[in-house]
Amino acid sequence: MKYFAPSTVEEAAGLLAQPNTKVFAGATDVIPQIRAGRPEPEALVDLKKIDRLVSVQRTDAKWVIGAATPTARLTGNAELAAEFPGLVEAAGLIGSDQVQSRSSLGGNLCNASPAADSVPAMVVNGVRAVIATPGGGTRTLAVEDVPAGPGRTNLVPGEFVVELEVDRAPARTGDAYLRLIPRTEMDIAVVGAGVRVTLDESGTVTDARVALGAVAPTVVRVQAAEAALIGSKLDDAALAAAAAAASAACNPIDDKRGTIAYRTHVAGVLTRRAAVIAGQRAAEKNGASR
Amino acid sequence: MTIAEDPATTSPGYKWVGTRMIRPDGFEKVTGRARFGADIKLNGMLYGHVLRSPHAHAKIVSIDTSEAEKMAGVRAVITGADFPDPSGPAGDQDLQRNVIAREKALYEGHVIAAVAAQTRAQAKAAAEAIKVVYEVLPHVMTVDEAMAPGAPLLHPKLMTKGVDPAPTEPSNVASRAVYQGGDLDLGFAESDVVVEGTFTTKPVHQGYIEPHAAVADTTPNGRTTLWCSSQGHFTMRSLSAKVLGWEPSKLKVIPAEIGGGFGGKTTIYLEPLAVRLSQKAGRPVKLVMSRDEVFRATGPASGTKIVGKLGFKNDGTMVAGELWMAYEAGAFAGSPAGAGSMTALAPYTVPNFLIEGFDVVVNKPKVAAYRAPGAPMSSFAVESLIDEAAKKLGMDPIDIRLKNAVTEGCQATYGPKFPRIGFVETLEAIKNHPNYKIPLGPNQGRGVASGFWFNAGLNSSATVHVNEDGNVIVVTGSPDIGGSRASMALMAAEEFGIDAARIQPVVGDTESVGYNDQTGGSRTTLATGAAVIEACRKVIADLRGRAAKQWDVSLDKVEWVDGQAQHVEGTQPPLSLADLAKGWNRTGGPLTASAALNARGVGSAFSTQVVDLEVDPDTGHVTVLRYLTAQDAGRAIHPSYVEGQLQGGVVQGLGWALNEEYIFDRNGKMENPGFLDYRIPVASDLPMIDTIVVEVPNPGHPYGVRGVGEVGIVPPLAAVANAVDDAVSRRIHDLPLSPVRILDAIINKDS
Amino acid sequence: MAHVHFSAGLRSGFTGGVAVLEVEATTVGGLIKALDARFPGIGEKLSSGTSVAIDGEIIPDAEFESLSATAEVHFLETIGGG
Repeated sequence: MKYFAPSTVEEAAGLLAQPNTKVFAGATDVIPQIRAGRPEPEALVDLKKIDRLVSVQRTDAKWVIGAATPTARLTGNAELAAEFPGLVEAAGLIGSDQVQSRSSLGGNLCNASPAADSVPAMVVNGVRAVIATPGGGTRTLAVEDVPAGPGRTNLVPGEFVVELEVDRAPARTGDAYLRLIPRTEMDIAVVGAGVRVTLDESGTVTDARVALGAVAPTVVRVQAAEAALIGSKLDDAALAAAAAAASAACNPIDDKRGTIAYRTHVAGVLTRRAAVIAGQRAAEKNGASR
Repeated sequence: MTIAEDPATTSPGYKWVGTRMIRPDGFEKVTGRARFGADIKLNGMLYGHVLRSPHAHAKIVSIDTSEAEKMAGVRAVITGADFPDPSGPAGDQDLQRNVIAREKALYEGHVIAAVAAQTRAQAKAAAEAIKVVYEVLPHVMTVDEAMAPGAPLLHPKLMTKGVDPAPTEPSNVASRAVYQGGDLDLGFAESDVVVEGTFTTKPVHQGYIEPHAAVADTTPNGRTTLWCSSQGHFTMRSLSAKVLGWEPSKLKVIPAEIGGGFGGKTTIYLEPLAVRLSQKAGRPVKLVMSRDEVFRATGPASGTKIVGKLGFKNDGTMVAGELWMAYEAGAFAGSPAGAGSMTALAPYTVPNFLIEGFDVVVNKPKVAAYRAPGAPMSSFAVESLIDEAAKKLGMDPIDIRLKNAVTEGCQATYGPKFPRIGFVETLEAIKNHPNYKIPLGPNQGRGVASGFWFNAGLNSSATVHVNEDGNVIVVTGSPDIGGSRASMALMAAEEFGIDAARIQPVVGDTESVGYNDQTGGSRTTLATGAAVIEACRKVIADLRGRAAKQWDVSLDKVEWVDGQAQHVEGTQPPLSLADLAKGWNRTGGPLTASAALNARGVGSAFSTQVVDLEVDPDTGHVTVLRYLTAQDAGRAIHPSYVEGQLQGGVVQGLGWALNEEYIFDRNGKMENPGFLDYRIPVASDLPMIDTIVVEVPNPGHPYGVRGVGEVGIVPPLAAVANAVDDAVSRRIHDLPLSPVRILDAIINKDS
Repeated sequence: MAHVHFSAGLRSGFTGGVAVLEVEATTVGGLIKALDARFPGIGEKLSSGTSVAIDGEIIPDAEFESLSATAEVHFLETIGGG
């Protein structure tokens, strides 16, 4: 197994165009998988030496986060955390403190676990993945269009995610991500729920996004839950309707981490709780966060 | 952590016993210098890889190692054929068959073959090239499946022992233990309140952080040196010899530092394989288990099914107790059903009882000891039922236990009368503690439970040397798992009357010190301590004799005080250890003595614990708010390490109660052989575990020591179940109390 | 005279229901021999995997332990620790 550490996107693209190569960023999934007996690739291509892959930029229009940026740097970024507390807290749940110094949004997304913690939070914030293509150049996909199924993405061989973009949050917008795990850290989410709401001056929800993780082969956007919240003031009836819609949208499995009945019920519970927190955060952000 | 009384202030004027010296092995361990089993490297060493059965139950039709033997770097390949046919008592044969399969694979992970090669990768590739033909057989994974009529049998000749009349057909039930007293029907007839239920627990692993590792080096003259971490290198020697068909003396076992055992490292897995590979290859061989292998192929604690029924009078007196218990032994007989039967009602006086414990084989790894083996499960049932009765009677859970608690002179349900014990003191310590009165909020609950464990004595040897500079070396053969080196140093310091920093405690190999039984069974501070104390006293008697010689006085004129020989009339300046060491040529030679004993005067241990927790009623998630444990240690030699044992037992019990379980798929393969999905508590899951070290000295030991390592794991299972019931009014009889199970009980309260 | 108490397992397996017996013996080994004479087969059972409690103290490997004139004796399954 060979190891390469390119310093440009083009170099990396050239290497990854070869057959049987694998992206090596934080490698917090790749290393355990190889140790557990998955076939070793011919070459590992380390993306962490490419500046664009590990930098975090903010413009008036958007944030641009290098796909291999360690999530510890995201949780340590006060402005990002203030603007997207849900996204940052979700990124901060990956692994453990030690893992956080290596784990990345790109890795969490492309490992394509149905239970990936950052994905529901990225989805509700409309995060886009900028993908380097083998022929040179890039294409952009909404994050929810990247995973194709457990362990599979819609990237073609040779493609890799260069950065994640998210538009600046409108005024009075708040997001939250909650997950259910049996312990207090280090577990894979049994259910994950991301919610983002935008309020008008009267406190009425004008925009809502709801996404669930670990309840289907890929992340689930729950439009019915969003519709239940829009136009409401996050009152009990609206929250109950959103929770019911979230439960109804689940298509989970029974496995060693949870049963269908459990995931379905808890998806509703977490959606409701995340909506409340998102609403509180939105109400606190009265001015535009520029 | 809180301690009701600091032992150092209550002990009778000890200078060293009861203090908290820094552990002698501490610096090596925190700087990474300590050498654990996997750290040993020898010149020319080969690496081994084990081939394991993918099937839960299969006949081994053939094994073809020819391809593997030709592969790059391979120096040796072994199978069951490389070992003597199993012989000896049934238990010995089971051990031999467990180390490497012969006719059958009896669980997924069962050793089929092993390879030694120049690199790990080469050994692994060669192991995968071994061609095994299996005839897959139906498997049984639970006691219900194993005991059902017509169940597939693991061992065609296994006839249940302990049943009268003896059975004529084999089964999967290896034995039945029974304890009985009084008249059960009368007892229940007299009862005002009867509580009953069926309880289940799952297999759980000891969770030691260090996987098994062994390095074997066989020389051409046949003598073999074995490095391994274990709970007893003399035990490793004798068990390995049984499997190899050798006299134990052919093996020298050198103990490596050990990263946790809890009972799981009292038996052998890799050691005979490493030795035989080394023999065949003519080179040293190292074998290290992966975490996956630790789960699939070492010995967990038994899963159980227990049907229990208790009867009480209205005033809380327990008058009847009935338990039917089945313990999973794994692939070979030997679950702790007997111990579970003996401990179940041991803390209580109950005149009418019938307890049956069945040892049942299933196609899972052979169980091994885990802290108070057998007791946590039966106690889970009994302590849950006592709590249910207390609720029905409107009695405080501590009071109902005080009403029935055994004291000195009471007859134990397992037979003899109790000597001096401290059970009541642990109950009162909890009752009188401020934690017990903290008000609880919504969805919060409090649960109490108690537990008992025998503790052990057994054989220990120690040798004590005084060096030329007056410092002392104390050599024992007890691997240090919980701080025993520090305890030995403290006891030796107390005996000699010198600073504990001048005592060097050493764990010697099997050729450097006399025989020592394992570090386990809560025996080491008591038994090895007793040997150390006796050896110290022999040296001190010798020292007094040397002083008498130098002063030309009779022995009775010399006393040993504060590290010096002193003339009783003060007519000579005192002689220190260093003084006497300087002159040893002239007074009789070097200063050294040994002691060896089969320890007597074992004191049993009781623990009472209370947990406060909060249940999220919408997700079933449990947060442990507070945990307080009170345990009778007799005398805490090193209070920090005693507290550590108390806390460790609680943490493992919490994991067992809340989230830990072996999960198997329909094919009998383990689904969660790793710490991601085998969920031991993480540090953030737990509050500080508060400890009360109760000291009711054991009259059988010079310092009053009672073993402390095990009993702490007995109460948490029921304490948690009782607290969950208190929090959300749901009595759950099945462990673990995972969020899924608790939420199911909350939502489906009628099922 | 040793006062010997038999557990339920020994009662049903060997002593035909006898629960307590007074036996002349000055050592545990002698006691076991005497019991085996009275209940054939019990000697083998008591000699392996069994500990003895004498006046409340549990002692494994008790063959040569002496018994006082009033010793209360129980035979217990030897249990393993962890």
